[in-house]
Amino acid sequence: MKKRWGITLVVLAISAMLTACGGDDKNTITFWTPLTGEDGSYMDQLVKEYNDTNPEIKVKHVITSDMYTKISTVLNSGKGVPDLAIIHADRVPGFVRQGVLEPMTAVMEAQPELKEDNYLPQAWTTGNIDGVQYTVPLDIHSNVMYYNKDLLQKYNAESFLDDNVVTIDEMLSLQGKLEEGDYVVNDALLGWVIMAQIQNLGGDIQENGQPAVNTEAMKQAFLEVKKIADAGLMTPFGEDGYLMFQAGNVLFSTDGTWSSTAHASVEGLNFDVTNIYSTSADKFTNRASSHLFAMLKNDNRTDEKEQGIGEFLEFIRQNSMEWAKAGQIVASKQVIENPEYENYIQSFFTSNEDEIKSLYIYTYEYYPYVAEAVDTYAADIVRGNVDLDETLQTMQKFVEDKIAEGNTQGE
Amino acid sequence: MNRKSFAPIFFVGPHFILFIIFICLPTIYGIYASFTKWNLINDPVWVGLDNYRTILSDTSSTFYTQFFNGLKNTLIFVGLSVPILIALPLMIAVALEHKQVKLKGFIQAVLYIPGLISISAAALIWLLIFNKQLGITGNVFGSETVWAANQPYAWIIIIVITVWGGVGGNMIIYRASISGVSKELYESAEMDGAGPIRRFTSITLPSIRFPLIYTFVMTTAGAFNVFGQPLMMTDGGPRQSTTVLMMYIRQLAFGHGESIAGMASAMAVLLGLVILVISALQYYVMNRNAS
Repeated sequence: MKKRWGITLVVLAISAMLTACGGDDKNTITFWTPLTGEDGSYMDQLVKEYNDTNPEIKVKHVITSDMYTKISTVLNSGKGVPDLAIIHADRVPGFVRQGVLEPMTAVMEAQPELKEDNYLPQAWTTGNIDGVQYTVPLDIHSNVMYYNKDLLQKYNAESFLDDNVVTIDEMLSLQGKLEEGDYVVNDALLGWVIMAQIQNLGGDIQENGQPAVNTEAMKQAFLEVKKIADAGLMTPFGEDGYLMFQAGNVLFSTDGTWSSTAHASVEGLNFDVTNIYSTSADKFTNRASSHLFAMLKNDNRTDEKEQGIGEFLEFIRQNSMEWAKAGQIVASKQVIENPEYENYIQSFFTSNEDEIKSLYIYTYEYYPYVAEAVDTYAADIVRGNVDLDETLQTMQKFVEDKIAEGNTQGE
Repeated sequence: MNRKSFAPIFFVGPHFILFIIFICLPTIYGIYASFTKWNLINDPVWVGLDNYRTILSDTSSTFYTQFFNGLKNTLIFVGLSVPILIALPLMIAVALEHKQVKLKGFIQAVLYIPGLISISAAALIWLLIFNKQLGITGNVFGSETVWAANQPYAWIIIIVITVWGGVGGNMIIYRASISGVSKELYESAEMDGAGPIRRFTSITLPSIRFPLIYTFVMTTAGAFNVFGQPLMMTDGGPRQSTTVLMMYIRQLAFGHGESIAGMASAMAVLLGLVILVISALQYYVMNRNAS
């Protein structure tokens, strides 16, 4: 019988080994981010600079692709929960409702400069739910409109930029004036552009907490943008409009702040940045999101670590100029008020109060579902491939069905 | 106790443990999850057959539409890809048996290598090939179509990359089994006046019956689980006509916002059942015909 015990022991040892993967290091702050690609390198550099100051507890940056899936896994098992993470603005309300975020209260008490006044207002308040601050912002990354200076000059369209608002009517005025193969605007991040128009038209995506997708404002937003496509001024359906902008065939490109580095690397592309086009000259909106530092619920996080996190966040607040290199709008006022920041193209969006206000972050709890619905159907609506009213109904139902699936949870 | 009686346990044991941990438990948990509402973070809430009822019978529900659209697209993919993935490798394997074919190993390697390349890398290459402005289809063949955004071209590029990546695996299995068929059979058939087609249908096919059944069943099951090709090549478009079921399942469980893992699990279980039934049918029909 001894041998049987031997086998049992081997089995137990194997299972123990399998479960023992991952563990907590008391002297390191494990810091997860979804920042793949170049953004990750800039963050690596920031973390390295912080660690070079010889803090008591060093930060270990772990780039985690598929981070939200992994977060749900570790939260479920309670093991390997990171001490600090970067999450996106639209995740905050859901996470708070599910009770998985730790308030930043203690961190803010230890570091008095981590306060609303020192950050771009919407980046800060997006982490505030019912008066409790759950996040500290790193940046705002926004949908913006790049323009090809040479093409604008060629088509005599520089006057569009006079008031910093390119209107859809102004774009339409170019109808019939473009050479073959040239287009006024591409369809990059089209869903975000639609979300901006909803604000420009005075609409919203919710009414008393209920999703409002099939609305007059949404319909109007689609109809307005569709005018550009109908006039043949938008890059053809299915083609890579982003690439066509870089190739110098498109006047305006509606992609993200983060694309500036890629555009800058294109030889001969003479470009600058402005606001997303608008339905009216009176209002402009750039649909934005934000990278936020957050602490997921973790019983093993010691007070010392929270202190360390506070010091790290304070360091980032003072020293995140590096992050501007990634093309992002840094959230810390100390950084954006530094004259050096003006060297970065995205400083345009913090150059005055109106610009700051134009960076709009949706904070509706079910925004991700609304955005998913808009992203899924926007291209087909704008290209006239589907019936608008019918599709808006489908989208409304899409969001409602998804919300209904979640409503027994997290209570 | 007899020492020998432990030997089987040592051989089977490790596999058995891995099977329990990585296949059995997740499967059971997945089936359990399909009877719940679950966001992956909070505790699952038991809802009985609600998810299945919604998916299968609530025609107004988004999940009903998604499931049947996804299943339809998956079936289209299976119907298009599996016959090619069986017939083409078989034809190549038979052709390579011909005495006058040189560089057999090289040809085999060339056809097999694409299967080793990751789907994302391969998709990038193929997307460039089919790119209207930069690609070969546009510049050399003068195609004016945006392939990924129009049907039936969207399906064509998905099938092309699938066949390109999948031919080699089955071909190797067929080659190995054909080389095991006794040469004497062919020689005597030739003496009896059997032509190449007769030799193929009367000797080759019956001799490689089991590899054929195996590849047919496995290729079909694999095709039902298709995900990477449509995701990378068309992102499910145009108008969700290439959004396969696995894409919906993934979007629900790991997409935007709060996870809808219960519904996703129910869809996955239903997909699993479809694969199970079809594989069993295939095996049954082919095995019966063969014997």
